[in-house]
Amino acid sequence: MSENVILTKKYGAQQIKPVDENEVRRYAGYSGKGIDEDGALTDVLRMVEKDLSGRLSYRVCYRRMPISWEEETPVMPFYCKSKNLASCIKGCYEIIVFAATIGIEADRYIAKSQKLSPLRALIAQAYSAERVEALCDKFCCEIRELLKEEMLCATARFSPGYGDLPLKTQADIFRLLDCGRQIGVYLNESLLMSPSKSVTAIFGIKKSNGKADTQ
Amino acid sequence: MNVLDFINNNICFFDGGTGTLLQQRGLMPGELPERWNISHPEEIIEIHRAYFDSGSNIVCTNTFGANCLKFDERELDGIICAAVKNANAAKEKSAGGQQKFTALDIGPTGKLLKPCGDFDFDSAVECFAKTVKAGVKYGMDLIFIETMNDSYETKAAVLAAKENSDLPVFVSNAYSDDGKLMTGASPASVIAMLEGLGADAIGVNCSLGPKQLKGVVQEYLKYSSLPVILKPNAGLPKSVEGKTVYDVLPDEFAEDMLKYAQSGIRILGGCCGTTPEHISKTVQSAGKIKPKPVTDKNITMISSYTHAVEFGDSPVLIGERINPTGKKLFKQALRDNDIDYILNEGIKQQEKGVQVLDVNVGLPEIDEKKTLEKVCFELQAIIDLPLQIDTSDIEAMETALRHYNGKAMINSLNGKEEVMAQVFPLVKKYGGLVVCLTLDENGIPETAEKRVEIARKIIKTAEKYGVGKKDLIFDTLAMTISADTRCAVETLKALNTIKHELNCRTMLGVSNISFGLPHRDVLNGVFFSLALENGLSAAIMNPNSNEMMKSFYAFKALKNLDENCSDYIENIESFACCETVEKKISDNPKKENHGGEEFPQAPLQSAIIKGLKEKSAALTKELLESTDALEIVNSHIIPALDSVGKKFEEKTLYLPQLLMSAEAAQAAFENIKKKISQNKTQSVSRGKFVLATVKGDIHDIGKNIVKLIMENYGFEVYDLGKDVPPQTIVDEAVRLNAPIVGLSALMTTTVPYMEQTIKLLKEKAPEAKVIVGGAVLNKEYADSIGADYYAKDAMETVKYSLEILGK
Repeated sequence: MSENVILTKKYGAQQIKPVDENEVRRYAGYSGKGIDEDGALTDVLRMVEKDLSGRLSYRVCYRRMPISWEEETPVMPFYCKSKNLASCIKGCYEIIVFAATIGIEADRYIAKSQKLSPLRALIAQAYSAERVEALCDKFCCEIRELLKEEMLCATARFSPGYGDLPLKTQADIFRLLDCGRQIGVYLNESLLMSPSKSVTAIFGIKKSNGKADTQ
Repeated sequence: MNVLDFINNNICFFDGGTGTLLQQRGLMPGELPERWNISHPEEIIEIHRAYFDSGSNIVCTNTFGANCLKFDERELDGIICAAVKNANAAKEKSAGGQQKFTALDIGPTGKLLKPCGDFDFDSAVECFAKTVKAGVKYGMDLIFIETMNDSYETKAAVLAAKENSDLPVFVSNAYSDDGKLMTGASPASVIAMLEGLGADAIGVNCSLGPKQLKGVVQEYLKYSSLPVILKPNAGLPKSVEGKTVYDVLPDEFAEDMLKYAQSGIRILGGCCGTTPEHISKTVQSAGKIKPKPVTDKNITMISSYTHAVEFGDSPVLIGERINPTGKKLFKQALRDNDIDYILNEGIKQQEKGVQVLDVNVGLPEIDEKKTLEKVCFELQAIIDLPLQIDTSDIEAMETALRHYNGKAMINSLNGKEEVMAQVFPLVKKYGGLVVCLTLDENGIPETAEKRVEIARKIIKTAEKYGVGKKDLIFDTLAMTISADTRCAVETLKALNTIKHELNCRTMLGVSNISFGLPHRDVLNGVFFSLALENGLSAAIMNPNSNEMMKSFYAFKALKNLDENCSDYIENIESFACCETVEKKISDNPKKENHGGEEFPQAPLQSAIIKGLKEKSAALTKELLESTDALEIVNSHIIPALDSVGKKFEEKTLYLPQLLMSAEAAQAAFENIKKKISQNKTQSVSRGKFVLATVKGDIHDIGKNIVKLIMENYGFEVYDLGKDVPPQTIVDEAVRLNAPIVGLSALMTTTVPYMEQTIKLLKEKAPEAKVIVGGAVLNKEYADSIGADYYAKDAMETVKYSLEILGK
């Protein structure tokens, strides 16, 4: 796998695992037994899926970069004092930084649903969140396969806003990945991403005899 | 020689990529290449010169990211000055004998424009204008706007270029592998917009290699009446030993480009990964062929931010419902600044199948310019149909056209000299398909001949302003036959002549024909069919008219405009058999929600608790015949909501179920509101509630849930939307003397704006109580920023609001 250049990937809907409806329910705040026995909410979910699934555009851009260590602190392409990230990528001498998105249409659909039915908007929001997570899983899984060939493995992924990794790390990630041009993801003044159903994350790469998190 | 004269008779060659070449010369990752104009001028001149030596006619300055967001004004000026010098020095040094031009290169700002992002359109125009002005000052032959992956930002850049220079403007967009821009625009929609804005050449660059761009290029050659540019990447990037390498080598690249030149591309070059060798091979192969002429495609198109609508053989439906004329609730919504009401009119019409939305918000007591701009903006955030800007206020028209994402329809002008002198310059500047009414200073002529005469005059005048026939659509004015039974005949005659003899597009406000007569729908349907047969290109109409919708689908099927009759089959059911469909719904009520529990309540109460929208609406309508509206609210709707709310608090019922009930209550309320609007003395308002997601934050799901539930409980909610500046919130609270203000923020980064808003509120509207909510907040955090209440969910907001008002 290539080093220190920005690469992009695009996936067709069929390449991403089918939607996990339980996960969508959990995001929408109604997981558990005995709810929605008559299936009215499931009907809404199915409608959202029918409307939205064909309009999503699954894209990832990423970059593999070397890092070094000064004692317990990783020296990375951006300044970062996060202890949680350091512990996540402990023992690694490379990282992969990536950004993933399901595209702008999800936002448009959610915005339109808000006007018609806040319930549909809530479910659409949950559905889209599940989809972008599924995309991240797919991407990470592929990377793990590639790393295996190099006798390497990956740590769990870590995103800005987790633990003590400040949200302003987003700005650094966007600089490294040129996300706007590569996959159409932009950062606004408040460090929020547009399209909103996007994820940025970092994971470490280490030798596979080291302890690897397989998620 | 001017570059435009040159491309008239020649195939023109651009330069290739510079990024890879700069990296080879030592540009570090993260370093801004524009600074090299000053720090490494020799390197930059060498790169430019290599392209001129390879036969490029146009070389672009090294200013792709030179904008005021990345550099302060002084540095920006210095960079552009140096960049222009470098390009001109290369031009002089190169021994190539070809015609040589230098282009001011302008790339995207790196910000996404509203409504998708947070960058303001006007700020984007301003930002590009600074770069353009500097380029003009230091002397360029043309402006090249490139690699734009959003249509709205492209428009901002083109406007900046046209408003601040007289230079030719070439525009190139970057399409993804799905054949669209990142924000969804199709090639046809971009072409319609850019031709309208007066670009001199348009095309495609970056993203993909020559072969992968074939589909997009074909669209350009099909629709564009301007010379087309193609600057592909050298294939797709791969990484070899830590370096980006592209997989299409110069020979293959030149071979592909030759084919494109033969098919009609007039301006060729390369983007990422291409080198002087790619260009010299391309010049050698494509430079030999005779250029294919650029022809006017004579296609009438308008566009939204996603797609174009063509006015050709197949008739176009324009929804007329966004218009206050004769609509009490609509007028009230305009006065109350209730944009959602208007948006819903748009959504409903889209669902009925219209292809364009007419937007008229003219009401004497409102600021039409502001409202029209706002409504168009909000419509374009959620509905992808092109809009028809409908106003006689010329300032409102200009603002709406300027901020419209795409090429709009304009409603309207007429044969009056004064009106044409106002509207045509706007059509010329912003682009647009303009509705031309066949009337003039003497009113509406009675005869068809005289109306056609006016049409001829309008065409002639348009020509003087540089507006072509394809951007005119003539309305020969349907007037009621109840006043004069000759009306329809004359209108159709004029329509027929304009369509077939003057070869122009036509439209009608069809339903005017039946005014004052019984069963208007019958006349409208038949008149519509007659007009279609006489060559009607578009109808402005009410899509709720079943007769007209039937005519529309039947006409298309009968005239071989509907392959396999598939549109007809898909849509006719809902218009032709609606009575039966309605009956089916009532015979077969939708399955009931919230488990099998039996509710002892009255039917309406139970319907709301179970979340049954249609049933709640129908039961309310029934009840209103015998019961007072307020009585229904207090004895049926509120108790139902209370019961659901209690279960929600007890966590025996979840948010989606709460929302189902809330939406059912909303449906009940719609009918109550209709009833109350007929009886002005009555009101269900418990009090005013100003609601907003604070500045910087674009999350509004939670806020919208609060809005819905608060409305259910009878609060008059003034929803200011998301990303709302503190001052706007305070102004509205003061204007309404609102007792309660609700603020939402989801991110730690936006809470400071919430704090600012509260501070300002306490100062300017000390009476107002502030309730805050949102994912990052809790009671302590809310206290620390000075909020009066922290509500963890919508039900708590209701609880506190009732407390505040002592109810």
